Amino acid sequence: MSKNIYILVVEDEPEVLDAIVRDITGFEEFFPIEMADTAEEAREIIQDILDQGDVIGLILCDHVLPGDNGVELLVELQHKEETISTRKVLITGQAGLQETVRAVNEADLKHYIAKPWNKEELVEIVKELLTDYVLDKVDDVLPYMKVLDGSRIAEAIRKGRTVTDN
Amino acid sequence: MSKIKQAGLLLGIIGFILPLVVDFPGLSLAGHLTMSIFLMAGIFWMFESIPIYSTSMLVILFQVLLLSQEGFIDYSGMAYSPLPFSDFIATLASPIIILFLGGFVLADASVKYDFDKNMTRVLLRPFGKQTVFIILGLMLVTAVLSAFMSNTATTAMMITVILPIIAKMEPGDPARIGVTLSIPFAANIGGIATPIGTPPNAVVIAALNQQGLDIAFSSWIFYAAPLAIVMLFVAWRVLLWLYPPATRDVALSLDSKLKKSPSAYILYATFAVTVVLWVTENLHGIKSSMVALLPIAVLTITSVLDKNDIRKLPWEVLWLMAGGIALGISMETTGLAEWMVSAISWDKFGYLMLLAVFGAVALVMSNFLSNTVTAALLIPLAISIATSGIIEGPEGMILIGLVVALGCSFAMVLPISTPPNAIAVSTGMLETKHMIPAGLIVGITGLIIILLLSVIYWPLIL
Repeated sequence: MSKNIYILVVEDEPEVLDAIVRDITGFEEFFPIEMADTAEEAREIIQDILDQGDVIGLILCDHVLPGDNGVELLVELQHKEETISTRKVLITGQAGLQETVRAVNEADLKHYIAKPWNKEELVEIVKELLTDYVLDKVDDVLPYMKVLDGSRIAEAIRKGRTVTDN
Repeated sequence: MSKIKQAGLLLGIIGFILPLVVDFPGLSLAGHLTMSIFLMAGIFWMFESIPIYSTSMLVILFQVLLLSQEGFIDYSGMAYSPLPFSDFIATLASPIIILFLGGFVLADASVKYDFDKNMTRVLLRPFGKQTVFIILGLMLVTAVLSAFMSNTATTAMMITVILPIIAKMEPGDPARIGVTLSIPFAANIGGIATPIGTPPNAVVIAALNQQGLDIAFSSWIFYAAPLAIVMLFVAWRVLLWLYPPATRDVALSLDSKLKKSPSAYILYATFAVTVVLWVTENLHGIKSSMVALLPIAVLTITSVLDKNDIRKLPWEVLWLMAGGIALGISMETTGLAEWMVSAISWDKFGYLMLLAVFGAVALVMSNFLSNTVTAALLIPLAISIATSGIIEGPEGMILIGLVVALGCSFAMVLPISTPPNAIAVSTGMLETKHMIPAGLIVGITGLIIILLLSVIYWPLIL
């Protein structure tokens, strides 16, 4: 049974949230996108996804949120077994150095995108991190070749020898 | 499990039970039991209700239980003399399997040390920059590599080579489709050129060996390579005609450095020596399966390949082949193949018509089924026709064997036809509808040329 791999976007300003989701809409066919505007809502969505038996491949998280902040959420996810492999990204204009260092050290932050972001850069990073995730956790990577980094996936098939003549 | 696979599971079980309750006149008890196994295996292979390599193991299991000396059935007084059970399990290490293992070991080591990429870079250089000739170059290199490595691994590697080329083409350029299609086509075509190029070849060679016919590595190349070369050019022209490139030149940059560590050099030397020994088998007479032990021994002694690499070899492909070979043994020794073949009066067919029928059936079936399974199901019947005298002697047997083996490899119409086709479609550069016309033309042309060779070339050299 293949699990759905979700992208979770956490952002409290609705226009910004929409803009992010619009920019990464190209991935939606293979990676369903969920949205949350607080850390609390994010936790609920994550639990729902995990209860379905699916996984979260990537989280794009703002830092300044009502209630718990983004870095706090990311650190929490890093300490849960089901979300430790989720690739964690901050999209923010307002995380200070101390919090950023904490995210890097304690939440295995993979990328820091400063607002305002560049669409091409965002898409590239999402593609790269999702490729990392898929190569790490998925057995049959062939279907992802066209939406993710095709070269890396083809190379993984070549070296990994998971697809064979029959 | 999907509905189709569930249906296949049920049908396979019915297929197994059928000969146990229905009596087929003229067929021995052993033949009935073999038919049970044949029907079950054929259905399970077709529907993939269980993985195809486990169907192979199921075949051997039932053979041991039902058709061996140590099994549950007592055949005293009957025409069938049961084989020792060790004969069935020995298919897992039959000479042709060892030959393939040698090939796998060389191929996996080549991938590990990027030897395949480096060879590609060197071999592509003479082809310049023009799109038309780069496509030819890509196809020739793919074919040469896939003759020695698995078609699938070659395709995966060549895809990484072409993706940068395609990225620089305009989005509407038909050459994107042409270049992407050229790889699986060339990989499938190249695979026919040597015994180790693709598993169906092994199944056919093993079946011929069982009839006492040994096919030397170099002999197979003489038979099959001309077909491969001709079909490569045909496929090249067909792809250029269907998908003419919009730009004259392409930018080709390959970065890979030749590895120079001691392990790499051991690999290069072992590879060269093994291939030379294989290709000159007719000169020195050392069997290719024996030569295959050389890379297996050398590369593991020197830790060029370590325990983890050995574990990652495609053992399930060897199991798949072994099951097919084992089934063929029973179909022959119990008389089932002969009985099935005698149901149709083949002498009404002309000699060429017969080859055409087998070739066409092999081609059509292997478009929908695994090539290896198609070969495994057809070759016992083909050999039976040959032994029944409709086709003359050992030459006839080799001929029909070649038709079946080569026909199985020309199935390139759909993504499901072969793994290289699936990889090509997965790149997103082309859709199935682009593959179908090209695959049909190449497949049918291939069949025609196989028949042509049966008349004008193979009889001369067999």
